[in-house]
Amino acid sequence: MNYLLETSGLTYKFSENETVLQGINLQVPEGSIYGFLGPNGAGKTTTLRLVLGLLKKQQGNINVFGKSFNKSRVESLRKIGSMIESPSIYSHLTAVENLSVLQKIYQCPKDRIPAVLKLVGLSGTGNKKAGQFSLGMKQRLSIAIALLHNPTLLILDEPTNGLDPNGIIEIRQLLKQLNQQEGITIIISSHLLSEIEKLVSHIGVINKGKMMFQGTLEELISKQQQSLSIVFETDDTVKAGKIMVENNLVPIYGHGKIMVPAIPKELIADINRRLVNNGVAVYEISIVKNDLEAIFIDLINN
Amino acid sequence: MVTAYIHSFQSEWLKRKRSLAAWIVLIGGFFTPVIIILVRIVYPSKLPAIYAAPNFWFKHWDNAWESMSIFFLPLGVILATSLIAQLEYKNNCWKQLHTTPLSLTTIFFSKLGVIVVMMFQFFLLFNIGIYLSALVPYLVVGGVHYPEAPIPFAIFIRENFLFFIDCLPVIAIQYLVSLQYKNFLVPVGLGICCWIAAIAVLSWKYGYLLPYTYTMFNYLKSHGGGRAVIPSVNIHVMAVGYFVVITIVSYILYITKKEKG
Repeated sequence: MNYLLETSGLTYKFSENETVLQGINLQVPEGSIYGFLGPNGAGKTTTLRLVLGLLKKQQGNINVFGKSFNKSRVESLRKIGSMIESPSIYSHLTAVENLSVLQKIYQCPKDRIPAVLKLVGLSGTGNKKAGQFSLGMKQRLSIAIALLHNPTLLILDEPTNGLDPNGIIEIRQLLKQLNQQEGITIIISSHLLSEIEKLVSHIGVINKGKMMFQGTLEELISKQQQSLSIVFETDDTVKAGKIMVENNLVPIYGHGKIMVPAIPKELIADINRRLVNNGVAVYEISIVKNDLEAIFIDLINN
Repeated sequence: MVTAYIHSFQSEWLKRKRSLAAWIVLIGGFFTPVIIILVRIVYPSKLPAIYAAPNFWFKHWDNAWESMSIFFLPLGVILATSLIAQLEYKNNCWKQLHTTPLSLTTIFFSKLGVIVVMMFQFFLLFNIGIYLSALVPYLVVGGVHYPEAPIPFAIFIRENFLFFIDCLPVIAIQYLVSLQYKNFLVPVGLGICCWIAAIAVLSWKYGYLLPYTYTMFNYLKSHGGGRAVIPSVNIHVMAVGYFVVITIVSYILYITKKEKG
């Protein structure tokens, strides 16, 4: 597969005793929207700052656009748009002036300025200084700055922070549109799966500096299927458990019930028959369905 | 590389628009001339004699530079330089700047370039102010004749140049500290401490070792009158030397910084 961004063995320590990242192998396929998930303090921002050269690399490799980032820093950054953590905006300048500061560096056409302002819904801000903007407006302006030079790779660290629900939906739609129509590869970090599960095609889950999962959204969904459980409520848990073990199942006991991993419906009926034939009263058979959020929590708890 | 530098310089120049540093340059450039104008308009009786003096322009120049060389110029340089680097810290923009396709060398020298050009702008405004402070009282107060003595341009340009050079080490020191510390009070506090120390060491024979004394020495060399021990070494050469060495140290510290925003 062609990875636009790939890290291998990325390790970072703030001090000898404080390892923030341990052997991170990030693989972002070209054309994907990659959701980089993890709780606060998991190492998401540190990874992204390393990828952008904001932190000095200590161990591991970073390849962007198929080249070592260290050897092609300026060339790579020309094709990357980014927004890391809180907005980076000159508060004494207007939105247009803020974009002009970057336009002069990237030397992109001047008409990109009104275009990106329109894209993020900030066309009408006129002479208002960016310092007078609400947090949501600042966030939008930061996204406009990241998009100004038509990047091939967009790196957004928690871009919906401070946005109201409508704003979140708008930004989500905008990112989807950019990915589908312009072919921009997007890395978006978040600590909430629910916030990005409707947007991303690939997911990486990081916790305590380690990569817990990386793959497509389908792979994560299939993990969800695998995590289905069948719960039996009976009058004799011990006897019922023995019967299940005899049928090569691994029962888990809890709250007076027995839980077994997902099994075919024919086998459920067979187990039920055996329980009844052995004098065990079956009160309830139910399916416990773990949603993606539960899997995410399960991943980070493991 | 040169093109990238020009673009980066244009970008940095735009950032200083409406900033406190830009206001300091504007207000600082005209502050002393405005005071001179006001004093001359309020006390007009001595003006005919002052304007008729054959050395009018030299006296006028000295009046304007006295407070400037001792107080406003060093303090203005301390504040303006610190504020330019502070723009990035205050607005949380170092990380944005460091993810643009610019080499660290370009970023470092374009910021320094903007500070030096702002200083040049300040000198230009101050010189215009000096001329206006001679012209306005003559136009406003009756009975005052325009000075007959010609303006000694060559001497004034040379003096401007020397004052400008004398500011360079202060710019370099303030720039170095401002790039290293997020807290604005560190560079400004250090600058003010050095300025106070500079006033204190003017009468010490090794006072010239502190670069913050150079604008003061340049003024006092012909007006010292026992207020200072004028160094026998060439302070202007020392100023250039300090500037080069401190800028190199500052550059190395900047490019080797572990965290870049």
